[in-house]
Amino acid sequence: MSILSLQNISKKFGAVQALSGVSFDVPQGAVYGILGPNGSGKTTLLGIVTDILKADTGSFRLFDQAATARQRRQIGTLLETPNFYHYLSGYRNLEISAAIKQRDKNDIARVLDICGLTARQHAAFKTYSLGMKQRLAIASVLLGDPEVLILDEPTNGLDPAGIAEVRELVLKLASAGKTIILASHLLDEVEKVCTHVAILRSGRLLRSGSVDVVISRHDYLELAAADNETLQSALAAYPGCSSVQINGSVVVAVFDASPEPAQVNSYLAQRGIWLQHLQLRKKSLEKAFLEITNDPA
Amino acid sequence: MKQLLYTEWLKVKNYRTFWIMLLVAVIMIPAGNYVPANVMSSRELDQAAKMLGQSPFGFPVVWQTVANISSYMTALYGLMLIILVTNEYTFRTNRQNIIDGWERRQFVYAKLIWVLVLSTVAFLVAVLTATVLGFVYGSNTFSLEGFSYLWYYWLQLVLELSLALLLAVLMKRAGFAMAIFLGYIMMLEQTLVLLLKKYLGPVGGLLPLQTGDELLPFPLVGKMVAANSDRYDDSVYLLFLVAYIVLGIYLVFRKVLKSDL
Repeated sequence: MSILSLQNISKKFGAVQALSGVSFDVPQGAVYGILGPNGSGKTTLLGIVTDILKADTGSFRLFDQAATARQRRQIGTLLETPNFYHYLSGYRNLEISAAIKQRDKNDIARVLDICGLTARQHAAFKTYSLGMKQRLAIASVLLGDPEVLILDEPTNGLDPAGIAEVRELVLKLASAGKTIILASHLLDEVEKVCTHVAILRSGRLLRSGSVDVVISRHDYLELAAADNETLQSALAAYPGCSSVQINGSVVVAVFDASPEPAQVNSYLAQRGIWLQHLQLRKKSLEKAFLEITNDPA
Repeated sequence: MKQLLYTEWLKVKNYRTFWIMLLVAVIMIPAGNYVPANVMSSRELDQAAKMLGQSPFGFPVVWQTVANISSYMTALYGLMLIILVTNEYTFRTNRQNIIDGWERRQFVYAKLIWVLVLSTVAFLVAVLTATVLGFVYGSNTFSLEGFSYLWYYWLQLVLELSLALLLAVLMKRAGFAMAIFLGYIMMLEQTLVLLLKKYLGPVGGLLPLQTGDELLPFPLVGKMVAANSDRYDDSVYLLFLVAYIVLGIYLVFRKVLKSDL
């Protein structure tokens, strides 16, 4: 079953084409990252899915059904900013969320505890710090333990410890089999959790699907020798080496397929180059992502 | 519907501004009627009133008198509604309510509940005020004749609150909506009514809130004015009043259902 299925969604804000013809499917149990730089249309897309924005063209389905409030109640959603009644306490705000989601009020204590807000639950929302507001929004998402979560920049406003906690939480939820749709421009947080990704740029879907298919992240080698320039030209002649650059005190060599360090070492030794440093590294998602989004095609 | 009512109750239960405004709005009705009742019941005026027919604060005229006087004290109810609705836009909870699982139309229903609740509160307070004043300041026995004036008062309130709701969803900001609302109900419409009546005749009486005013003249004065003025039958004003309510609510639905939140 597809949790979310988008068909050809387009949306314009005035002269700005925020989304053009976006289609993809989120399978059940996936941790689906929606990646893209600021202004690429991530939040607009999720706004359409949650019915706060109207698509100009295209359609979408939730749980293989026409999307209505009934489907939305089964999804815990944090979109863009924490939206709560400023004059009410955290607890009372969650009472309202629970009433609308038709979830049991008795779950509020549990979610406040997960988000570390139990001590401040009776203070007014307007007295909360940015991080606490974000935590309350996450608490609201978790109300009633939904099977599907939509998290739009969930670590906004959190300190490093908070970011790590959210990442742990997402991992925990993912391992419990929840479907998570995670929009973020912080690739570090996505890299560690996603099974699938969709990459947007300027409202266009560049790629989507399983993470390993969408983003080929071949390992690369980091090397150093007494004379790095000689090393560079020797590597450039190595079969399958697609690029080689001097980066500070090391040479970075990228290959069409994952390289075999022992073979490279032996190849260089035959040419009288003795390595001082050789390390196999994995290309970061960030680097792969930048390559995709910077590609003019 | 019960769930909408419960959710709206949670939103205001601990909202002090709302309760203070409601308290003042409720007190204004008996207080605003008490002063003229007291003044007009002085012996000389009472005599004069009796000569003209009936005492304005005795049954059955008291229903009309209280409906007329109370209709000047409705602004606060409109302001309360504007605050309740624009709060949702300011806090962006209008979006969150939808995200969490309301249909957009349910958001409108929730606000229409307030139109109904606030107008009914004012109506009931006015009924209670008229009853008490009728017994205290009148010498006639209790009678429900002319009670329909209180229904006109209620309808005018529903219209005024529908207008407040429309302005709130269009403007989204409390300050804008309040300024336009107060400007319109306190001065702008009256000016237009006067100009239209002067140059075009009774059609001036068909502007939205004026329809209610036409249905709610002050008892003795109204009789004298009505006798020699050019005006439509009450049913025309009533028809327009109801049509304006329907139009206002339709525009609110259209705005909330169609646009981006």
